[in-house]
Amino acid sequence: MRIALTLFMIFLKTLLWAYPDSCSYSISGKILDISTKEPIPYVSVMTRDGSRGTIANDQGEFFLDSLCSKSNTLFISCYGYCDSICEHHHQHGKVPHIYLTQKVIDVGEVTIKAPMNKKEGIESIAQTTIDKDEINSDPTQTLAGVVEDEQGVSLLSAGTNVQMPVIHGLYGNRILILNNGLKHGFQNWGKDHAPEIDIANANSITIVKGAAGVQFGPEALGGAIIVEPNPLYLKEPFYALVRTGYQTNGRGYNSGFECGQGKKHWSYFINGNYTKVGDRHAPNYSLTNSGKEEYSFGSGVHFRTEKLGVKAYYSLINQNLGLLRASYPHSSRAIRQAFEAEQPDSSYILPFSYAINEPNQLIQHHLAKGEVKWNYSNHGNFKLIMGKQLNSRKEYDVRRNSHKPIIDLDLITNDIQLEWKHPDVFELDGVIGVQYFYQDNDNNPGTGTTPFIPNYNIDRYSAFVVESKRLGNDMIEAGIRVDLEEDNVRGRETNQDLFRDEFSFSNITSSIGFVKNFSKANSFRMNLGNAWRTPNMAELFSFGQHGFKTTYGLLRHYFNDEEKIKTNRVIPFKESEVEAEKGWKYVNELRINTKRHGHTLSAYSHYILNYIYERPYAVIGTFRGPQPVFIIRQTDALFLGCDYDWKAEWSKRVDGTFGVSYLWSRNLSENEGLINQPPVTMSYKLNWEHKPKGKMTSSKIILKPFYRFEQFQAPRTLTPTQLIDGDEVITLNSEIFDFKAAPKGYFMFNIAWKFEWRLIQGQVAVNNLFNSSYRDYLNEMRYFADAPGRNFLFTLTYKFKNNKSKY
Amino acid sequence: MKTNQTIQKIKNYSKIPVLALAILLTGCKKDDPDDDVPAEEHDHEMITDVDLIFTNDADPSDVVVVSAVDPDGEGVAELTIEDAINLDTGKTYTLTLEIWNDHDDHDDHDDHDDEGQHEEEDHDDHDEEGDHDDHDEDHGENIGEEIAEEADEHQVFFSFTNDAFSSPSGNGNIDNSSDAINYLDEDSNGYPLGLETSWTTSSVVSDGTFKVVLMHQPDVKTSSSGVNDGDADFELEFKLNIQ
Repeated sequence: MRIALTLFMIFLKTLLWAYPDSCSYSISGKILDISTKEPIPYVSVMTRDGSRGTIANDQGEFFLDSLCSKSNTLFISCYGYCDSICEHHHQHGKVPHIYLTQKVIDVGEVTIKAPMNKKEGIESIAQTTIDKDEINSDPTQTLAGVVEDEQGVSLLSAGTNVQMPVIHGLYGNRILILNNGLKHGFQNWGKDHAPEIDIANANSITIVKGAAGVQFGPEALGGAIIVEPNPLYLKEPFYALVRTGYQTNGRGYNSGFECGQGKKHWSYFINGNYTKVGDRHAPNYSLTNSGKEEYSFGSGVHFRTEKLGVKAYYSLINQNLGLLRASYPHSSRAIRQAFEAEQPDSSYILPFSYAINEPNQLIQHHLAKGEVKWNYSNHGNFKLIMGKQLNSRKEYDVRRNSHKPIIDLDLITNDIQLEWKHPDVFELDGVIGVQYFYQDNDNNPGTGTTPFIPNYNIDRYSAFVVESKRLGNDMIEAGIRVDLEEDNVRGRETNQDLFRDEFSFSNITSSIGFVKNFSKANSFRMNLGNAWRTPNMAELFSFGQHGFKTTYGLLRHYFNDEEKIKTNRVIPFKESEVEAEKGWKYVNELRINTKRHGHTLSAYSHYILNYIYERPYAVIGTFRGPQPVFIIRQTDALFLGCDYDWKAEWSKRVDGTFGVSYLWSRNLSENEGLINQPPVTMSYKLNWEHKPKGKMTSSKIILKPFYRFEQFQAPRTLTPTQLIDGDEVITLNSEIFDFKAAPKGYFMFNIAWKFEWRLIQGQVAVNNLFNSSYRDYLNEMRYFADAPGRNFLFTLTYKFKNNKSKY
Repeated sequence: MKTNQTIQKIKNYSKIPVLALAILLTGCKKDDPDDDVPAEEHDHEMITDVDLIFTNDADPSDVVVVSAVDPDGEGVAELTIEDAINLDTGKTYTLTLEIWNDHDDHDDHDDHDDEGQHEEEDHDDHDEEGDHDDHDEDHGENIGEEIAEEADEHQVFFSFTNDAFSSPSGNGNIDNSSDAINYLDEDSNGYPLGLETSWTTSSVVSDGTFKVVLMHQPDVKTSSSGVNDGDADFELEFKLNIQ
């Protein structure tokens, strides 16, 4: 996957005269490639209103005078002027505008980063990027927690430690998580397995809200989340960053560092992070065993000659995640209490502690990656990426042999990708690539229980082409991909008999997109893409109890002639009706910007064939008393929705963004609603910047109220008691239900103050300001307990840059 | 310059990723899927069979056995409680609980009506943790033995139709843990366990109930802990007739 490093750095020197209202301001600067610090010649620079413009010279220098305003927004683009010379830095006209705002006046040197160039083939898909400063404002949160603020993105969780992103109603392995250019290889199944990525060490996070299967392969059905590490720029003076934080809810603390340097031909970075949080508390009681401990380490080196660039990365994350004790009720009394009472059983509520007991998860994830880029000419390059990941996961349950893990898995993922960015043919920009992807999952012995998912090996071979063509200001792109996957499975039944299966999948994925730029400020983009996903091993083979649930996978249950559910055999894949999921997503995005207002509207429809979902099915009598049973089913589903945001500059120092997202979804085969779909959410974010005072170079107050509605499309409710009492007998054709009604809507108010004082950046924030008791529909813990209450967060970051040092 | 030394050190550290990568990438040997099967595990969690054995203290050949069976373990089949407990009046019985996981028994495939579907496999000689001595001729894992070994983490509680027995009197210790039960066994702390208990009948009872609950109470079991402490390993209710 090609990451276009077409970022710029601009040094600006501003001359200003104290004659307000007269057009006598001027600005001068130099445009450099952020990665190599080489000047980019012949770039066009224009004020936003188009009244003044110029072209940089061959040293990237420009000068604009007769400006009428102290603060200016400049557009910097390469349209038409330097196509032949700047091939290195951009592709035909693809470089987006650089958005330069305020602040320019008071400082001598400014670095402006253009939005990272979008990847080939997904430029026409609605997407947003979150940068490092925003990520760092709360380094203890999860990846999903960071992206949740974006429209159309929500969060599915099993408590505060285990959170996964939901894009337009899809989650889990319908959202591809691309960590450092590699598909994050983890146990991506169930609602209690979150991607093990330490966001504190990430440089940027991009959310792609459409089917991006052509570039990224299967699983990017609903979208993708791209986590980029330190970009390893050359010619950077030595820099270091130290960060520390504390939060009151859970008495959590965090510290981290990052440092690095870029020389003329090489650069490096290292970073690390440590977080510990104890039991969090809901407004009325402690959430016992909801703490976590996590440390991570990352490093990378980059060597570069004129033609050749080599990068190597290694990262490690180690997590011990507690799961709410109250979410593992085992006796029938505790289950009824959990589903039907206001708060967890008092025996599950203990005083605050940092201790993490069962149920918990111990996870270690190693990622190593090598990347070689060969710029064989100014017009084309080859890129080879090799990655290896080792994910080892141990889960401990509340049980008699609780010292033994109940799940103990090692997952090895190997990735090899070769991409060729070809020279222009018929004015087509494009990339051709081949990939080989291999996964090997092994159960480690000693769990004292039948493996919940089997051992398996996956081999996948893929090839793809994406091409784009510029038509004046507009752009059209298309791509196609072929995947062939072979799976080999070895598992055990509960009587310890072995079962084996072998099956394969193949699919053709395609996408077509169009970007129309009406003007510099207004654009329309549309993308029609399909993508697919093979059912994961847990969806096929899960069998038995895990946590509070007993689950039967697609190949582990069937209905007999009397429509009674049976689980007495493992169905061979070829005899089953199970098929890969295939989806078509059509997404449109309209952006309209006026002087003070910006509107973004995206609307989408997503049709998924063979959509796999987990539904509550029954309560069965067991030795431990009645247990809730879930089964995995397949159906055809339709999702329709829209996201809207409206950004308004109320004054020079105050701006606000209003956002709303709505999703309607339906199970078409059964003609009923779908379970676990995100409810409508409305949010507002108000930024109020203060005038710099003395050494306080920046100070900003952010208010973030939001309201999440009740999920009115949620299935009906049948409590375990109703099922035990036989109020309704569930059969194959019974309407879907849930064990507990969807929680009421809730209002949340978060507030933060961010400041910069000399080299220190800081933040004081309060989340859930009013300490409201609430439960979120997409948090599985809603069955058992309220979400955490008010939380004060304090973060301090010290950034050091040795500007005197030579590179 | 100290800073320079630090920088130099950091530069040396930056070689780590290159080395790590070299090791990791060369170490990617693909294993042969055919040999790479999950090890056989003896499931010590699952209970498929609980037998309540009432033996007349006066006549050891006078035995009443009732069972609760969930033959497919974690499968969807419901737990069945086979019999009613039919005791005689005016006798003293010792109740012994036997707890089994029969699912682990390879010869017991009665519940598999489609056995032909399965590839028959040779069972490799995996480490079996020396648990083989737990096996009985007719049964799989003896979970009861494990409970006895972990006596300080377990207790059996009972409830029954009020005054069904002359000893213990009352309705059992599920509603109130200090109520009388004649425990015959105890853990290392001297707290009752309940795999063996004594029951004396007197008057006639018909269509009564008899409930047995085994609680797992690690770090929770005390002299006063009750049925609401810890997690239930099983919770069974039988019919009780005394004639």
